[in-house]
Amino acid sequence: MLVLVLGDLHIPYRVSGLPQEFRKLLTPGRIQHILCTGNLCTKETVDYLKTLTADVHIVRGDFDDNPNFVDQKVVTVGQFRIGLCHGHQIVPWGDIESLSMLQRQMDVDILITGHTHKFEAFERDNKFFINPGSATGAFNALNSSTIPSFVLMDIQQGSLTLYVYQLVNEKFTVERLEYRKA
Amino acid sequence: MQKTADTSRGSIAGISMDNQEKLLAESLQNVRQHAFAMKRVLDQQSVMEGLKHAANMLGELRTSLLSPKNYYELHVVVVEELHHLELYLTDEFEHGRGSHDLYEVVQYAGNIVPRLYLLITIGHVYIRANELPRREVLRDLVEMCRGVQHPLRGLFLRNYLLQCAKSLLPDTEEENQEENKTGTILDSLDFILLNFSEMNKLWVRMQYQGHTRDLNRREQERRELRILVGTNLVRLSELECVNVERYKTIVLPKIMEQVVSCRDAIAQEYLMECIIQVFPDEYHLNTLNEFLKGCRELSPTVNIRNILISLIDRLTSYSTRDQQNIPENIQLFDIFSEQITEVIKSRSTMPSEDIVALQSALLSLSLKCYRDQFEYGNKVLENTRQIFDNIALDTQVTTGTQAAKELVKMLKIPIDCYDILDVLKLNHYKLVLQLLSYRERHTVCMYIINSILDKETIIPTAEQVTQLFDLVSTLIIDQPDGSLEHSRQTITNEDFVEEQNLVARLCNTFKAINDPDQQYHIIKTCQDTFKNGGLERMRFTYPPMIMQAYALTFRYKDIREQDEKWEKKCQKLFQLSNQLINTLTKLETNDLSLRLYLQGALTASEIRSENAETIAYEFFSQAYTLYEEQAGDTRAQCASLTLLIGTLEKVSCFGEENHSTLRQSLTQAATRLVKRPDQVRTLLLCTHLFWSAQRVDESTQKSEQIRDSEKVIACLKKAAKLIAQVMDQTAQVQLYNELLNSYIYFFNQNHPDIDINVLNTLIEKLQSDISKLDSTSSTTHTSSNDGDEFIRSQIQKTFDYLRQQSQLEKFQGLQINN
Repeated sequence: MLVLVLGDLHIPYRVSGLPQEFRKLLTPGRIQHILCTGNLCTKETVDYLKTLTADVHIVRGDFDDNPNFVDQKVVTVGQFRIGLCHGHQIVPWGDIESLSMLQRQMDVDILITGHTHKFEAFERDNKFFINPGSATGAFNALNSSTIPSFVLMDIQQGSLTLYVYQLVNEKFTVERLEYRKA
Repeated sequence: MQKTADTSRGSIAGISMDNQEKLLAESLQNVRQHAFAMKRVLDQQSVMEGLKHAANMLGELRTSLLSPKNYYELHVVVVEELHHLELYLTDEFEHGRGSHDLYEVVQYAGNIVPRLYLLITIGHVYIRANELPRREVLRDLVEMCRGVQHPLRGLFLRNYLLQCAKSLLPDTEEENQEENKTGTILDSLDFILLNFSEMNKLWVRMQYQGHTRDLNRREQERRELRILVGTNLVRLSELECVNVERYKTIVLPKIMEQVVSCRDAIAQEYLMECIIQVFPDEYHLNTLNEFLKGCRELSPTVNIRNILISLIDRLTSYSTRDQQNIPENIQLFDIFSEQITEVIKSRSTMPSEDIVALQSALLSLSLKCYRDQFEYGNKVLENTRQIFDNIALDTQVTTGTQAAKELVKMLKIPIDCYDILDVLKLNHYKLVLQLLSYRERHTVCMYIINSILDKETIIPTAEQVTQLFDLVSTLIIDQPDGSLEHSRQTITNEDFVEEQNLVARLCNTFKAINDPDQQYHIIKTCQDTFKNGGLERMRFTYPPMIMQAYALTFRYKDIREQDEKWEKKCQKLFQLSNQLINTLTKLETNDLSLRLYLQGALTASEIRSENAETIAYEFFSQAYTLYEEQAGDTRAQCASLTLLIGTLEKVSCFGEENHSTLRQSLTQAATRLVKRPDQVRTLLLCTHLFWSAQRVDESTQKSEQIRDSEKVIACLKKAAKLIAQVMDQTAQVQLYNELLNSYIYFFNQNHPDIDINVLNTLIEKLQSDISKLDSTSSTTHTSSNDGDEFIRSQIQKTFDYLRQQSQLEKFQGLQINN
């Protein structure tokens, strides 16, 4: 089961669009679910994601105006409960302790957040935390040299393989990480 | 040599389809019978008898009753059977048994159609057997075929002749001395060209036979037969001895002579197209003037546009294929340009869409064949504008017309084959664009922007940005002719939103790499343009400018060693952003401005240029003011306050005075929110403003964490008090759980006043509250049971976590039952 995890696109306020390299890679029919940490900003971007798969979950980013987006969402894929939250509501932003608190409150195995525009994935107390970064490498005042990135999760029952796609100096890199549910 | 002229005439008009099929079936039946008889006697070596049956079979082709399609089917079967005879005769010759007088004998066949088919068949065999002189026989045959003047029968007969002659036509420069007067390429050319002009005459004559009421059907039938005439040209193109020189001096002039003199639009259109398609590109390149001169002599009803476009497109793809270059001595562009002007002049009734289509083809040619010579493309655009100006000066092309559609197509060509920076060099492009009415201009502008975005083109200078804005101004400022559209320009109109989002995306392609000052000019240019676009557009166009200004301050900071004025420049950028956001606050919803102000505060804090604190404070306080104005929308206010708190926790450039003002304002604001749970949650967030948030120490000028443990406790206690006032028990327990988690957070952070006993008290309280919740929910069956269940499991997670932690030394003394 392939799950696309991405967010903080900030089109059109900060970038003109998703990098061509990513667009070529993301073709309809391969991905079953999309988990988006928000800041899509426009309906066109939402529509674009919906061309990739019908099952799109989006939470509200600080630059989203869509009143239908919620702040938090829990999605179950395989044996995993996955929590989704943009992350600007968690103070201090990106703080591991605060994220853990949210993970406990949402009672999830995997917590996905964004907002910092910096890819991160780590395991803590046997829970997995993912920040897919900004798929467009959008400007961020706290992290001015942003690398465009997104994550593909391959979920097979209780095991999770993570593919991290990054565009470093216009070069495309893929990294593989694994996590198994206890 | 003709015995009788072809006299059978008739009309197939009035014969219904059913009858047609019946007639065809009968004829086919007869053909099979005769063919069977022919094969039987041939098996018995009786040639004369065989020829007689063959003649009978061929007699079926004398019919005038079949439609061209059915006649074709009959012809195929007859020719197949005739092939049998040919094989037999060839075989006879190969075995030395061939009789020498058959060519003479068949001339006595009673009817002309069978006679000529037999002559062709036998002539074919005799030439191959070297029995008769090739040159004479071929000439003889092509002349004799004149005897059949009925168009349908004549066309098929000559088609059979061409088919048989295929392998016989001499394709050499010199006569072959050994064989019997073989002839040369010149004989072949005579043969095919004569056959061609005769066939064309027959074909054209079809147009004038029968009743005028059948005209449409007749034209349809003619179109079905055109390939028969075209085969002659294909054959010519297959001759190896036809080179450019021969094509230019013999072949093309002869063909053109026939094409022009027949004065038939259907024939002219088809044959010109045929010439373009069957002969090689080099031939066309060397005969452009001849061909184009012929074009001007065609019947006025011929669609000259398609012919010219076809030729131009063919040569364009030739020159772009495998990097082929047009030879320098051939001034392709000039020739076409002149000829097209001539054609347009000579046809005063030519509709403007055809004129534009011709200019489009010429534009495509100039852009693709002469990539670096912008003046060519520019000249086409200039001429196009001129043509319209000559008709009526400064008049727009009416929306929705064919001419408007052709102009749109034309304007898309440069966009497709160039990137926008090159299109900007075509200074007449815009003048052609201005010919269009609002709707078509809009289409082209959207196309331009989409193309830039698709190709990820970067626009590197302010000058180019200005030119681009000038080009797509239809989308950027109100248009005098777009008045109908003005009413649509609101945030609620999806098309308008889509359009303006596209403009906003475009702004992010303006990047002066390695030149921050140029980037500043770009931003100023954008501001100067966008300020005329109206507030509804600014909502879309200003935010990218503001974010670019913020991003640019980081670039200035990066080069602070090289640019001593970097701080002044950053200051200007912050002022500019402030001013832009200020304009946006006039919009009815102001969250966007609030968020942009907060981004500004964060940026100023990170840049730490001179006056950073003042700037950040200005941004932050304006965001706060907007927050206060949001009163009334509880949900939005809570979301905004959360963002203000999160931002302040990260803004590290404030001294104690400013920071304290802001953190206290936010803490008070938290308690003033309408809903209790909102108050509690934002207050818990505020604890971080007194702990990990940073301020600048006045004496050392260094950032330090605030770590005000008393205020943290005060916030937590205030939160506890507020929770106690929550009426809904479930919500209350949930908030207590969150409070406990905050305590655990600060316990982990080694807060001096939060020890294990504090945690134990809270745990105890929470445990007793849950049991209360249990007892109430067991007696009352409310619909909130599911919610209770979730909260109980949430609390269990906290307890599980604590149990896990209790193994650690730090958590010694933790009282929590399993």
